[in-house]
Amino acid sequence: MRKLPLLLLPALALLFSSSSDLQAQKLTAKENAFFEKSIRPLLAKHCYKCHSKKAGKSKGGLYLDSQAGWMDGGDSGPAIKSGSPEKSLLIKAISYKDKDLEMPPKEKLSDSEIAALTRWVRMGAPDPRKGSKADKPPARSTIDIAKGRQFWAFKKPQKHAAPLPSNGTWALGDIDRFILKSLEEKKLKPAEDADRATLIRRVTYDLTGLPPEPEEIDSFINDKSPRAFETVVDRLLASKRFGERWGRHWLDIARYGESTGRTRNFPFTFAWRYRDYVIDSFNNDKPYDVFLREQVAGDILAKKYPQNKRDRLVATGFLAMGSKDLNERNREQYLMDNIDDQIDTTTRSVLALTVSCARCHDHKFDPIPTKDYYALAGIFESTEILSGLNARGQKGGYKATDKLIALSTRVKPDGAKISKTEVQLKKMQEHLQQLRTEMRERQKALGALNKKNTKKKGKDRTPAAEIAAQRKEHQKRIQELKKEVQEANRALNRKKNRGGGSAPTGDYAMGVTDAPKAVNSRVRIRGEVSNKGSEISRGFLQVLSGKKRPHFSGNSSGRLQLAAWLTSTENPLTARVMVNRTWHHLFGRGIVRTVDNFGETGERPTHPELLDHLALSFQEDDWSVKNLIRRMVLSRTYRMSSNYSEAHYAVDPGNELLWRMRQKRLDAESLRDSMLSIGGELELSRPVGSPVMKLPINEIGRSLARAKKTLDGNYRSVYLPIMRSFVPQILQTFDFAEPSMVKGSRDVTTVPTQALYLMNNPFVHRQSKNLARILMDKDGLTNAERIDLAYKLALSRAPTTFEAIRSLTYLKSFQDRNEEGSNPDLNALASLCHALFSVAEFRYLN
Amino acid sequence: MNRTPESYSPEINDLLSRRSLLQTASCGFGYMALMGMCGEAAARDDTYKNPLAVRPSHFNPSAKRVIFLFMQGGPPQVDTFDYKPQLQKNGGKKVGNGTLMPSPFKFNRAGKSGLQISEAFPNLAKHADDLCLLNGMHTTNPAHPQATILAHTGSINFVRPSVGSWVLYGLGTENNDLPGFITINPPNRLGGAQNYGSAFLPACFQGTPIGGQGASSLPNLYNRELTSAQQRKQLDLVQKMNRELRERSGVNDELDGVIESFELAFRMQGKVPEVMDIKNESQKTLANYGIGRGKASDAFGKQCLMARRFAENGVRYIEVHHGGWDLHNGLKARLTKNAASTDAPIAGLLSDLKERGMLKDTLVVWGGEFGRTPAGQSAKGDGRRHNNRGYSMWMAGGGIRGGMRYGATDEFGDTAIKGKIHIHDLHATMLHQLGLDHEKLTYKYAGRDFRLTDVYGNVVKEILT
Repeated sequence: MRKLPLLLLPALALLFSSSSDLQAQKLTAKENAFFEKSIRPLLAKHCYKCHSKKAGKSKGGLYLDSQAGWMDGGDSGPAIKSGSPEKSLLIKAISYKDKDLEMPPKEKLSDSEIAALTRWVRMGAPDPRKGSKADKPPARSTIDIAKGRQFWAFKKPQKHAAPLPSNGTWALGDIDRFILKSLEEKKLKPAEDADRATLIRRVTYDLTGLPPEPEEIDSFINDKSPRAFETVVDRLLASKRFGERWGRHWLDIARYGESTGRTRNFPFTFAWRYRDYVIDSFNNDKPYDVFLREQVAGDILAKKYPQNKRDRLVATGFLAMGSKDLNERNREQYLMDNIDDQIDTTTRSVLALTVSCARCHDHKFDPIPTKDYYALAGIFESTEILSGLNARGQKGGYKATDKLIALSTRVKPDGAKISKTEVQLKKMQEHLQQLRTEMRERQKALGALNKKNTKKKGKDRTPAAEIAAQRKEHQKRIQELKKEVQEANRALNRKKNRGGGSAPTGDYAMGVTDAPKAVNSRVRIRGEVSNKGSEISRGFLQVLSGKKRPHFSGNSSGRLQLAAWLTSTENPLTARVMVNRTWHHLFGRGIVRTVDNFGETGERPTHPELLDHLALSFQEDDWSVKNLIRRMVLSRTYRMSSNYSEAHYAVDPGNELLWRMRQKRLDAESLRDSMLSIGGELELSRPVGSPVMKLPINEIGRSLARAKKTLDGNYRSVYLPIMRSFVPQILQTFDFAEPSMVKGSRDVTTVPTQALYLMNNPFVHRQSKNLARILMDKDGLTNAERIDLAYKLALSRAPTTFEAIRSLTYLKSFQDRNEEGSNPDLNALASLCHALFSVAEFRYLN
Repeated sequence: MNRTPESYSPEINDLLSRRSLLQTASCGFGYMALMGMCGEAAARDDTYKNPLAVRPSHFNPSAKRVIFLFMQGGPPQVDTFDYKPQLQKNGGKKVGNGTLMPSPFKFNRAGKSGLQISEAFPNLAKHADDLCLLNGMHTTNPAHPQATILAHTGSINFVRPSVGSWVLYGLGTENNDLPGFITINPPNRLGGAQNYGSAFLPACFQGTPIGGQGASSLPNLYNRELTSAQQRKQLDLVQKMNRELRERSGVNDELDGVIESFELAFRMQGKVPEVMDIKNESQKTLANYGIGRGKASDAFGKQCLMARRFAENGVRYIEVHHGGWDLHNGLKARLTKNAASTDAPIAGLLSDLKERGMLKDTLVVWGGEFGRTPAGQSAKGDGRRHNNRGYSMWMAGGGIRGGMRYGATDEFGDTAIKGKIHIHDLHATMLHQLGLDHEKLTYKYAGRDFRLTDVYGNVVKEILT
């Protein structure tokens, strides 16, 4: 900046109070003297410790050891407005008028000191101290929202006419035309169709997570109708197994867990209702937009539309299910951490945006300023989480049955039996009370003793020795009592901190409700909960909204508006993200490979036009997930074989363009369910609730034996209890989604612990033996026929002649241990079945 | 059940050589290789890479492995490794947070370095010249669960991967017959599995717990149905079928991975019990570790010996947990008891490592989640309160200077004032010794690169050799 005539400076300083490239003012002698005498020592004494270069600290981004420091100000803006004490943050802070902005934090300045600073600011804050701008922390938001809107993901999906590939006969529908066209551009051809056995295995697993029955395979192979495959697909879509498979995909995204995890891992007694709700929603083909609205604002919707009220209330479990640090005593921290979980889960699951990066600073890559984060935070700050649990240090202990949703009006007030713990607690409380009463009485008596004796005269006085003895006795007992009270108190607190006794029973659910008062949130500078900046009106992400800010009426949190905004057809992401997730599960990889991240750091779509096409048709089709899946699996693309082609591999080794079907690995649930199913043990009915319901409201680690017992049962894996930190071994071993985080795409690892599980775990042995028994029990089967059936059950195909002979040889050469009561034929067959459960082919879908 | 290498059939040798080829091949990929497998970090091709294969460090490491001796509960610094003469002189004096309680333990100068070590640890004192006492430790939170999780994952407010998982992710493991990260006797509370969990890192990087939750060994090591010969035969059939599938599928590295994993698993069945079996250790060694029926140090001695055996066999990160350090009362008696059960084992571990030439590349870290106050629990009580403002840990081996006292608390031992080390700094230093730059060891999740130390952490250069 050019040097300016000095005279102009004070005026300019006011105009450009955020610019600090000015030179230090030339002060009058009087001003200088005032500053040196009254201001500099005061600032040095009370402020430099946290706001100076020398101390190496600029709390809140503020330096007070140079003129530039206060002119530029900290995260909340310039500290001083020259000439206007009433508009200066510094003066506001030192006058302790705002609870959230009190400086110095430990002790208020004296009245005379406040007066001096106020006077100084009114004088125009004459300051001789030089200092350069270079010391300043980075400036505030520089995000250009309008420019941000140009990013592909933030533009609305466009209608694209399906292209016309030169091969006019291959495509069955639009999906195929998009895929084929991009293959042709690279001079690639789609693979041949998969054979029917492969295809029915693929689609049965993809849609239900279970293997096809041999009869189903045969009937498909023999079905000459041109609609044979459609028949299969429609049967699978109508099966109850469908929701159990696709519901679980959603539960991965909803970071579904039946305990708090983290510091004190307490059970969520009623989390399972949300699980069942999700499964039912997919089975009923609930339109995806409705599904989302219920999860974000079901409680509010239920008030307006009482039909399906129960479902809608349970749906809000989505917002309550996060992991929680129950040991957090700082309520503000607890609140903001839970809000962060809600924002992170909602935005990543529905929008595939990492909004929670903006909690501490503007998003580094996407056009999401911190302001937007706190606009959303306000919505959740106006929402109360009903998880049935309190954090530590709150009245009433951890167990909080009042913080649950009562699903029916006739719900009993906590029908739980009184537990042993509760009885003990009560006894301890009574004991403590007794001790305290005795202590009070003794103290009173002691006081009276002293008083009485001084009042009485002469011979009426009790002999001094006796008094002394009595006094001594009282004192001794009081000392003892003090100790006892202390100990009883401590024991009681210990007990209380351990938990709250038995689990509540009754018609309850987890979820959320609007807080009594709706509030706007305030920016927490650098994410520090006590470091509050400006208040932000509730709202959504600017980059995904028009100029008009949403209106939040009266005392509602704004979740209803949020739900409407998320599911509006104007929102460019919601439909795209869901069709991409669906594609990911069916084709082994998303069109946008980073399924939970559509932002700058995510990947770009391999087939952008196809993605838009799918998103728009999904919306037009009333957000029907079943129809979406149906369209995808009935495509010719889905029916391709996964066979290798060297020439194609040379051009596109990663198969990004889909010249063949991608091979997929069975996930942990499918693996377990398949073995159970083939072994004839799978219990297809849905269990009532979850074993977690029986756990006391206490740290799970303390009732571990009981908790472990809960892991038994032959239900489908989706019904296994998912307690955080205690995920069942088979799920953990085979890349289950970590239940504390949004996980749209599971890892696929290959490690020896998985092989060990398959080789040695008693579960696998049991299912192998079960299968062998089934094969043995079939009347009149030869060993060759048994082998044939085993292959069909496990691998959905008949063995080749070579394989059949090899298997027969294997059975023959099996040398049994010949233990008492053992059946060598059965053992041999079990060992063969075990081999079939262990081979890679069993775990892979071609 | 015993498994011997003789039971390998010839075709297995064939396979093994293929395995070693694979291993060599995957070594060169470095971090890119790892990205092949998962999540947002995945590379674009479908090729399989063993996620646990050895990966190059960022720079030359001083340590190849870590043994973390975690003393859960908060060992009191002024009774163990932070000698405070002023505290001894000022017993009964009122200070800000109570009344000073002098240590009931005497401190003695030990070794050539003359480090002051509490009389509670006579055996450890003999190793004074190998120890680097960190007297300026401090941490964020004075509550057990939070501080324990912070010490293990570097984060309180979020679920994040544990230190061992980061290390395994960064370096892989040298011996595929054993897990790369083992935690012995972990508690199932205070964060439980989160303390050795992999959070957003793939599950194969999580720690394997041994003991603590009832399991005395790794899960699924023993086959209760088949003899060794039967199992080998069965495995041969399985592997034949796997190779046939591989032939049918063209280039398919993932299937190579499956085939490899079964052979590794088969060998682990023999190797793990062998490593965990201490019966061939000499009487002298057992005595050094304080192992012996009826001895207070028997259990922890065995765990420390196990740690050495794991270390020797290429396990990258080993934690041994010892609880009972929450000394609110009965401090003198309970600390004496804790010392009796840990002193000989830890000293034994250090000498054993040294004798085997392993101490120089094994970083041994001792400490709890925080420390305790010099002020007593109450005016007369025999205990101390939690203290996150200042506490002590120590390190030994792995490129750390021995016979050194680094950092200091105030005159009574309450608050770190010099050479302050936050738990993030400790983590940064641990990674640094393993040849990893804590700012570069990142994993992409939810759109950004995460690291163990978040935005914190300074390597404590002063204590490095």
